[in-house]
Amino acid sequence: MYGKEIADGDRYRIPACSICEDEGIVSLKLEMPGVAKEGLEIKVEGNELSVLGRRGAERESGTYLLRERRGESYRKLFTLDESISRDKIDAAYANGILSLTLHVREAAKPRRIAIA
Amino acid sequence: MSIMKWENPAPKDLWDAFNGLRGDMDRALDLFRVPDAMGLLDRSTAPAIDLIETPEDYLVFADLPGVDRKDLELSVTGSILRIKGMKRAEEASEKRKFFRKETWAGSFERTLDLPALVDSDKVSAELVDGVLKVRVPKREEAKAKLITVSVN
Repeated sequence: MYGKEIADGDRYRIPACSICEDEGIVSLKLEMPGVAKEGLEIKVEGNELSVLGRRGAERESGTYLLRERRGESYRKLFTLDESISRDKIDAAYANGILSLTLHVREAAKPRRIAIA
Repeated sequence: MSIMKWENPAPKDLWDAFNGLRGDMDRALDLFRVPDAMGLLDRSTAPAIDLIETPEDYLVFADLPGVDRKDLELSVTGSILRIKGMKRAEEASEKRKFFRKETWAGSFERTLDLPALVDSDKVSAELVDGVLKVRVPKREEAKAKLITVSVN
Protein backbone atom coordinates (compact mmCIF):
# COMPACT_ATOMS: atom_id res chain seq x y z
CA MET A 1 0.00 0.00 0.00
CA TYR A 2 2.86 2.29 0.86
CA GLY A 3 4.52 1.54 -2.46
CA LYS A 4 1.39 2.19 -4.42
CA GLU A 5 1.05 5.77 -3.34
CA ILE A 6 4.71 6.57 -3.62
CA ALA A 7 4.79 5.15 -7.11
CA ASP A 8 3.24 8.21 -8.71
CA GLY A 9 6.64 9.85 -8.70
CA ASP A 10 5.90 12.45 -6.06
CA ARG A 11 8.09 12.88 -3.06
CA TYR A 12 6.59 13.42 0.33
CA ARG A 13 7.70 14.82 3.58
CA ILE A 14 6.35 14.24 7.05
CA PRO A 15 4.63 17.27 8.49
CA ALA A 16 5.46 18.36 12.03
CA CYS A 17 2.69 17.13 14.25
CA SER A 18 1.41 17.56 17.78
CA ILE A 19 -1.02 15.18 19.42
CA CYS A 20 -2.81 15.83 22.66
CA GLU A 21 -5.75 14.45 24.52
CA ASP A 22 -8.20 16.37 26.61
CA GLU A 23 -11.06 14.50 28.26
CA GLY A 24 -11.78 11.98 25.55
CA ILE A 25 -11.01 14.33 22.68
CA VAL A 26 -7.79 13.71 20.84
CA SER A 27 -6.58 16.62 18.78
CA LEU A 28 -3.93 16.42 16.15
CA LYS A 29 -2.26 19.44 14.66
CA LEU A 30 -0.22 19.08 11.52
CA GLU A 31 1.79 21.90 10.04
CA MET A 32 1.38 21.91 6.30
CA PRO A 33 2.14 25.37 4.96
CA GLY A 34 1.47 25.88 1.29
CA VAL A 35 -1.33 23.37 0.99
CA ALA A 36 -4.67 24.69 -0.18
CA LYS A 37 -7.86 23.19 1.25
CA GLU A 38 -8.51 21.42 -2.04
CA GLY A 39 -5.14 19.68 -1.83
CA LEU A 40 -6.00 17.90 1.39
CA GLU A 41 -7.01 14.30 1.46
CA ILE A 42 -7.89 12.66 4.76
CA LYS A 43 -8.84 9.00 4.76
CA VAL A 44 -9.63 6.34 7.30
CA GLU A 45 -9.11 2.80 6.13
CA GLY A 46 -9.49 0.19 8.81
CA ASN A 47 -7.04 1.12 11.50
CA GLU A 48 -5.20 3.61 9.42
CA LEU A 49 -5.70 7.33 9.22
CA SER A 50 -3.85 8.87 6.34
CA VAL A 51 -3.33 12.52 5.67
CA LEU A 52 -2.12 13.78 2.35
CA GLY A 53 -1.50 17.44 1.59
CA ARG A 54 -0.65 18.26 -1.96
CA ARG A 55 1.28 21.42 -2.58
CA GLY A 56 0.58 23.18 -5.81
CA ALA A 57 3.55 23.91 -8.00
CA GLU A 58 4.24 27.50 -7.06
CA ARG A 59 7.52 27.81 -8.89
CA GLU A 60 8.08 31.35 -9.93
CA SER A 61 9.99 32.44 -12.96
CA GLY A 62 13.17 34.21 -12.02
CA THR A 63 16.45 33.42 -10.38
CA TYR A 64 16.40 31.74 -7.02
CA LEU A 65 18.88 33.56 -4.78
CA LEU A 66 17.83 31.53 -1.75
CA ARG A 67 15.95 28.31 -1.76
CA GLU A 68 15.37 26.87 1.68
CA ARG A 69 11.76 25.87 1.44
CA ARG A 70 10.96 22.42 0.24
CA GLY A 71 8.23 21.96 -2.27
CA GLU A 72 7.21 18.40 -1.52
CA SER A 73 3.72 17.40 -0.60
CA TYR A 74 3.01 16.20 2.90
CA ARG A 75 2.06 12.75 3.96
CA LYS A 76 1.49 11.22 7.33
CA LEU A 77 0.01 7.92 8.47
CA PHE A 78 -1.44 7.22 11.86
CA THR A 79 -2.55 3.92 13.29
CA LEU A 80 -5.80 4.24 15.13
CA ASP A 81 -6.33 2.46 18.36
CA GLU A 82 -9.50 0.45 19.03
CA SER A 83 -10.59 3.11 21.50
CA ILE A 84 -10.92 5.78 18.80
CA SER A 85 -14.27 6.25 17.17
CA ARG A 86 -13.95 5.81 13.43
CA ASP A 87 -17.00 7.73 12.37
CA LYS A 88 -16.50 10.91 14.34
CA ILE A 89 -13.43 12.60 12.94
CA ASP A 90 -13.54 16.31 12.35
CA ALA A 91 -11.05 18.28 10.31
CA ALA A 92 -10.37 21.98 10.02
CA TYR A 93 -7.70 23.79 8.08
CA ALA A 94 -6.50 27.32 8.69
CA ASN A 95 -3.21 29.22 8.28
CA GLY A 96 -1.35 26.15 7.08
CA ILE A 97 -2.33 24.03 10.05
CA LEU A 98 -4.60 21.04 9.76
CA SER A 99 -6.48 20.25 12.94
CA LEU A 100 -8.04 16.84 13.29
CA THR A 101 -10.33 16.04 16.16
CA LEU A 102 -10.82 12.41 17.12
CA HIS A 103 -13.10 11.11 19.78
CA VAL A 104 -12.50 8.33 22.21
CA ARG A 105 -15.33 5.78 22.14
CA GLU A 106 -17.72 6.00 25.05
CA ALA A 107 -17.02 2.38 25.93
CA ALA A 108 -13.30 3.06 26.14
CA LYS A 109 -13.57 6.03 28.46
CA PRO A 110 -12.66 5.46 32.09
CA ARG A 111 -15.74 4.94 34.17
CA ARG A 112 -16.14 5.84 37.75
CA ILE A 113 -18.11 3.33 39.69
CA ALA A 114 -20.00 4.63 42.62
CA ILE A 115 -20.25 2.55 45.72
CA ALA A 116 -23.82 1.94 46.70
CA MET B 1 63.45 -6.68 22.35
CA SER B 2 64.33 -5.91 18.83
CA ILE B 3 61.71 -8.04 17.18
CA MET B 4 58.14 -8.27 18.43
CA LYS B 5 55.33 -10.32 17.17
CA TRP B 6 53.12 -8.11 15.11
CA GLU B 7 49.59 -7.82 16.31
CA ASN B 8 46.70 -6.56 14.33
CA PRO B 9 45.54 -3.33 15.95
CA ALA B 10 41.96 -4.19 14.99
CA PRO B 11 39.84 -5.44 17.88
CA LYS B 12 40.15 -9.14 18.48
CA ASP B 13 36.47 -9.56 18.97
CA LEU B 14 35.11 -9.71 15.46
CA TRP B 15 31.67 -8.69 16.66
CA ASP B 16 33.00 -5.36 17.88
CA ALA B 17 33.06 -4.08 14.35
CA PHE B 18 29.51 -5.25 13.79
CA ASN B 19 28.32 -3.70 17.01
CA GLY B 20 29.78 -0.39 15.94
CA LEU B 21 28.13 -0.73 12.56
CA ARG B 22 24.84 -1.50 14.19
CA GLY B 23 25.09 1.64 16.29
CA ASP B 24 25.72 3.66 13.16
CA MET B 25 22.75 2.07 11.44
CA ASP B 26 20.49 2.77 14.38
CA ARG B 27 21.53 6.37 14.39
CA ALA B 28 20.96 6.65 10.66
CA LEU B 29 17.49 5.15 10.97
CA ASP B 30 16.65 7.45 13.84
CA LEU B 31 16.95 10.32 11.45
CA PHE B 32 14.01 9.03 9.48
CA ARG B 33 11.82 8.81 12.52
CA VAL B 34 12.05 12.52 13.14
CA PRO B 35 10.03 14.59 10.72
CA ASP B 36 12.42 16.19 8.29
CA ALA B 37 10.98 19.59 8.97
CA MET B 38 10.07 20.89 12.37
CA GLY B 39 8.30 23.88 10.95
CA LEU B 40 9.90 27.00 12.27
CA LEU B 41 12.08 25.18 14.70
CA ASP B 42 14.56 23.63 12.34
CA ARG B 43 16.00 26.96 11.35
CA SER B 44 16.37 27.98 14.99
CA THR B 45 13.45 30.37 15.17
CA ALA B 46 13.94 31.77 11.70
CA PRO B 47 11.51 30.64 9.04
CA ALA B 48 12.71 28.99 5.86
CA ILE B 49 12.76 31.44 2.99
CA ASP B 50 12.86 31.47 -0.78
CA LEU B 51 14.23 34.58 -2.43
CA ILE B 52 13.62 34.98 -6.12
CA GLU B 53 14.90 37.76 -8.31
CA THR B 54 13.03 38.83 -11.39
CA PRO B 55 13.98 41.77 -13.62
CA GLU B 56 11.34 43.93 -11.92
CA ASP B 57 11.32 42.84 -8.31
CA TYR B 58 12.27 40.47 -5.53
CA LEU B 59 9.88 37.80 -4.38
CA VAL B 60 10.16 36.39 -0.89
CA PHE B 61 8.30 33.31 0.27
CA ALA B 62 8.35 32.19 3.87
CA ASP B 63 6.68 29.20 5.50
CA LEU B 64 4.80 30.48 8.52
CA PRO B 65 2.27 27.87 9.57
CA GLY B 66 -0.05 28.95 12.34
CA VAL B 67 1.05 32.56 12.31
CA ASP B 68 -1.75 35.07 12.39
CA ARG B 69 -1.76 38.08 10.10
CA LYS B 70 -1.91 40.47 13.04
CA ASP B 71 1.12 38.88 14.68
CA LEU B 72 3.29 39.46 11.66
CA GLU B 73 5.40 42.54 11.14
CA LEU B 74 7.16 43.40 7.91
CA SER B 75 9.53 46.26 7.42
CA VAL B 76 11.86 47.50 4.70
CA THR B 77 14.73 49.77 5.61
CA GLY B 78 17.01 50.64 2.75
CA SER B 79 17.57 47.29 1.11
CA ILE B 80 16.91 45.28 4.26
CA LEU B 81 13.71 43.34 4.56
CA ARG B 82 12.74 42.22 8.01
CA ILE B 83 10.13 39.62 8.79
CA LYS B 84 9.23 39.52 12.42
CA GLY B 85 6.42 37.74 14.11
CA MET B 86 4.99 35.59 16.74
CA LYS B 87 3.48 32.18 16.64
CA ARG B 88 1.02 31.84 19.45
CA ALA B 89 0.81 28.73 21.53
CA GLU B 90 -2.51 27.18 22.26
CA GLU B 91 -3.97 27.85 25.63
CA ALA B 92 -2.50 25.50 28.14
CA SER B 93 -4.80 23.24 30.02
CA GLU B 94 -3.98 21.07 33.00
CA LYS B 95 -6.02 18.18 31.76
CA ARG B 96 -4.46 18.19 28.35
CA LYS B 97 -2.01 15.41 27.87
CA PHE B 98 0.52 15.64 25.08
CA PHE B 99 1.58 12.49 23.29
CA ARG B 100 3.74 14.18 20.76
CA LYS B 101 4.86 17.72 20.31
CA GLU B 102 6.80 18.64 17.25
CA THR B 103 5.27 22.00 16.63
CA TRP B 104 6.73 25.09 18.07
CA ALA B 105 5.47 28.44 19.30
CA GLY B 106 7.22 31.68 20.07
CA SER B 107 8.63 34.67 18.31
CA PHE B 108 10.84 34.60 15.27
CA GLU B 109 12.70 36.99 13.09
CA ARG B 110 14.46 36.90 9.79
CA THR B 111 16.36 39.68 8.11
CA LEU B 112 17.27 39.67 4.47
CA ASP B 113 19.69 41.98 2.78
CA LEU B 114 18.36 42.40 -0.71
CA PRO B 115 21.09 42.80 -3.32
CA ALA B 116 19.72 45.98 -4.88
CA LEU B 117 17.92 49.16 -3.93
CA VAL B 118 14.23 48.61 -3.49
CA ASP B 119 11.15 50.74 -3.51
CA SER B 120 9.91 50.42 0.04
CA ASP B 121 6.64 52.23 -0.70
CA LYS B 122 5.46 49.62 -3.13
CA VAL B 123 6.01 46.48 -1.10
CA SER B 124 3.04 44.14 -1.13
CA ALA B 125 2.53 41.06 0.98
CA GLU B 126 -0.03 38.33 1.40
CA LEU B 127 -0.38 35.42 3.78
CA VAL B 128 -2.14 32.42 2.26
CA ASP B 129 -2.32 28.92 3.76
CA GLY B 130 0.58 29.58 6.09
CA VAL B 131 2.88 30.91 3.37
CA LEU B 132 3.90 34.54 3.31
CA LYS B 133 4.57 36.05 -0.09
CA VAL B 134 6.24 39.44 -0.28
CA ARG B 135 6.83 41.34 -3.48
CA VAL B 136 9.47 44.03 -3.22
CA PRO B 137 9.86 46.08 -6.39
CA LYS B 138 13.30 47.24 -7.39
CA ARG B 139 13.98 50.90 -7.74
CA GLU B 140 14.17 52.25 -11.26
CA GLU B 141 17.92 52.76 -11.08
CA ALA B 142 18.49 49.19 -9.95
CA LYS B 143 16.70 47.64 -12.89
CA ALA B 144 18.84 46.40 -15.72
CA LYS B 145 18.55 48.69 -18.70
CA LEU B 146 19.38 48.03 -22.24
CA ILE B 147 21.51 50.77 -23.68
CA THR B 148 22.26 50.68 -27.30
CA VAL B 149 25.58 52.08 -28.30
CA SER B 150 25.95 53.19 -31.82
CA VAL B 151 29.31 52.52 -33.33
CA ASN B 152 30.46 54.87 -35.98
